[in-house]
Amino acid sequence: MKEFNIVLAGVGGQGTILAAEILGVAAVKDGLNTRVSEIHGMAQRGGAVTSSVRIGENVASPTVLEGQADVLIGFEPLETLRNLKFVSERTFVIMSDERIPPTELAAKNIAYPSIERILEKIRKFTDSVIAVETERLAKEAGSILTKNIVLLGVLAASGKLPVKDESLVEALKELVPAKHVETNVNAFKLGYEYVKKKT
Amino acid sequence: MLLKNESGKQMLLLGNEAIVRGILEAGISMVTTYPGTPASEIGDTTSEIASKAGLYMEYSTNEMVAVEVAAGAANVGVRALTAMKHVGLNVAADALMTLAYIGVRGGYVIVTADDPECYSSQNEQDNRYYALLSSLPCMEPSDPQEAKDMIKTAVDISEKLELPVLLRTTTRVNHTRGPVTMGKLAKPSLRGTLVRDVKRMVMIPAHARLMHVRLLEKVEKAREISENSPYNTVKRKGKSQIGIVSSSSAYNYAVEAVELLRLDASVLKLGLTNPLPEKLIGQFLKANKKVIIIEELEPYLEVQIKAIAKDHTPTVEIYGKTAKQYFPRKGELTTRLVAEGLAQITGQKLPLDFRKIDEAYAEVAKDLPARPPILCAGCPHRASFFVIKRACGDKANYPTDIGCYALGIAPPLSVGDLLICMGSGVSTAQGMSRATGEPTIAIIGDSTFFHAALPGLVNAVYNNAKITLAVLDNSTTAMTGHQPHPGTGVTGMGTPSEKISIEKVAEGCGVKFVKSVNPFEIKEATAVLKEALQHNGPSVVILRSPCTLLTVRDRRRKGITVKAFRITDKCTDCMTCIKLLGCPALIIENGKVHIDETLCTACGLCASVCPYKTIEGEEAST
Repeated sequence: MKEFNIVLAGVGGQGTILAAEILGVAAVKDGLNTRVSEIHGMAQRGGAVTSSVRIGENVASPTVLEGQADVLIGFEPLETLRNLKFVSERTFVIMSDERIPPTELAAKNIAYPSIERILEKIRKFTDSVIAVETERLAKEAGSILTKNIVLLGVLAASGKLPVKDESLVEALKELVPAKHVETNVNAFKLGYEYVKKKT
Repeated sequence: MLLKNESGKQMLLLGNEAIVRGILEAGISMVTTYPGTPASEIGDTTSEIASKAGLYMEYSTNEMVAVEVAAGAANVGVRALTAMKHVGLNVAADALMTLAYIGVRGGYVIVTADDPECYSSQNEQDNRYYALLSSLPCMEPSDPQEAKDMIKTAVDISEKLELPVLLRTTTRVNHTRGPVTMGKLAKPSLRGTLVRDVKRMVMIPAHARLMHVRLLEKVEKAREISENSPYNTVKRKGKSQIGIVSSSSAYNYAVEAVELLRLDASVLKLGLTNPLPEKLIGQFLKANKKVIIIEELEPYLEVQIKAIAKDHTPTVEIYGKTAKQYFPRKGELTTRLVAEGLAQITGQKLPLDFRKIDEAYAEVAKDLPARPPILCAGCPHRASFFVIKRACGDKANYPTDIGCYALGIAPPLSVGDLLICMGSGVSTAQGMSRATGEPTIAIIGDSTFFHAALPGLVNAVYNNAKITLAVLDNSTTAMTGHQPHPGTGVTGMGTPSEKISIEKVAEGCGVKFVKSVNPFEIKEATAVLKEALQHNGPSVVILRSPCTLLTVRDRRRKGITVKAFRITDKCTDCMTCIKLLGCPALIIENGKVHIDETLCTACGLCASVCPYKTIEGEEAST
């Protein structure tokens, strides 16, 4: 394997950092070299955030080159669009359909674009895209705070990740608080099955 | 996790966590810090484990105090470390420059975290120049593994030379996770003994002259260490006549760009960058025809390497960012920027058509709404800015300060006219008020108040400046991750301490008008601010309400759920709430205002500004 690049994009507070950390820990469990990058601090406060996970023997830079993502996980539709610069025709895009309107839209009284229009724009870059009902699945898992883990389940089910499913679940169990392990494992499974059902 | 003695085991660590592991492996016994992105997790992780690990840590009131506390310990033989963001070293610079003369007895490392691209900072200064300015050794890790390992090396060098050592990181080192192989844990020892030596330790002019000579001698010893350091190494490649010199995070982009372009190039990686290994660099210059320097921010290496070239091999061609700019001098580098620069210098072709990607992306990006960081839903600062604006109006001037409340500049709140550095608000307000004669309200947060506002406040009293200082007290250091401070009653060791009252401090400084009020009590808060503006002399108004993130976390822990506010049918769509507050929980769907249930914290601010009283709900107290 040369390298595998994942870009995680969302809004501060959506749990992109935790999802990226889980991927990184799982990679190390499988004896793989990895770099996980994240942005903390002021940029986080409700702003657009991008994390990345790179896996591969010669990976040195923590950030992904334009057009070189193997997977883009968009935690929010508009943020998925904002990160299309990392996407090429070989990228798999996983997008949550949960919309978080930027305050600019409210201030200018502009409607949030429809998911269909957003998917159209993504398809100009790649045909490989899936919209995930994260909110419904997270609620079903037992907590709306597990939307990020639902998305990890979807990624695992895609079969593209060079990391074992078991390692991911193990990493997940280590990184979430003990009392929330069950809910999170549920969320992971629901995300996993969601893809299997769709494909 | 960090406390386990699992020598040889590999773990995924954040750069800042790796530094903490380095602290534990190096036997450092005292850690001092003032939180600042991207260095914050060094202090926070240390704080979590300090008592278990048997070391002392403190959140000092500011970076200068942090350096001085640690310098006291290091001068009685205890190993110490101070961590701060790059601009923190400006605050500590006075101590740093003379501490370099005095030196240390126990190993002392100062971690300075630069922030290329200003992700969370007011500037992107290159702190390697502090190493040159102070003559102190400087190390630059490129990844978490090196960050950990270099702490131990830095302590060794520090004790050998009896000098503090700077460890200069960048955001992409502090906030990158990577596999780190653990070393052995060492036992901290906080027991020091003062060996009196006034000539060395008390810097009066006669002693300083002597110690400056000693410092210059130490620099030459440090250069020898640099010549032989395993962190300064050459990876030669074939018969290439192209050489690349790089350090820190830039090195990662350099090696990937070389790979991308399939360039045949030797690479000199520098990890100990002050003093530079002149001989090693001289040999490298001689061995190559073209030498390309790849570094983030300033041409720190480049300018010095050009000077070395003049002595060793004046004919070598040197490329970088002086003379012609192949790489930008601002912002952070990326593999792409480095590859584009290298392609230009070497004539090698880029294998990726970035322009095509840019064009496709520009088409998408052109109508994307921006999503800058904003004050959270329920943030008490929103209420504070609303009442400040209501009481003082558009004509007043609002110098502001460093903290979440700097986000108050965003419309519709639009409060914040001048921001330089920590504590600048209260002092710039005095100049502004005197020069305009207009009402001037300085904004500051609680942690920043203790960090840097006191001399400014005393100045306002002493010189009778007519300003109002609005202290937005949310009982924490919110922006950097909720660290305690002198007003919170908790220390970095987790022990209780005296809560220092902002009111009493202000009164003690001689301020005659000091009042505190809850900003969500709109009428009362507005009245207090109006009264403060009428006061003839400096006044202080404390707008006190805890950070909403803490409140929400606390509710979650206690299992308390609060009901979001609702917009009733009587809503006239006048949009007043949106126009006045810009709260992210207020959204528009099909031309109607809605409240996002998951974001709303039931602060009730929107209900109190609605002119037709059509927003309903129960205000949650905690």
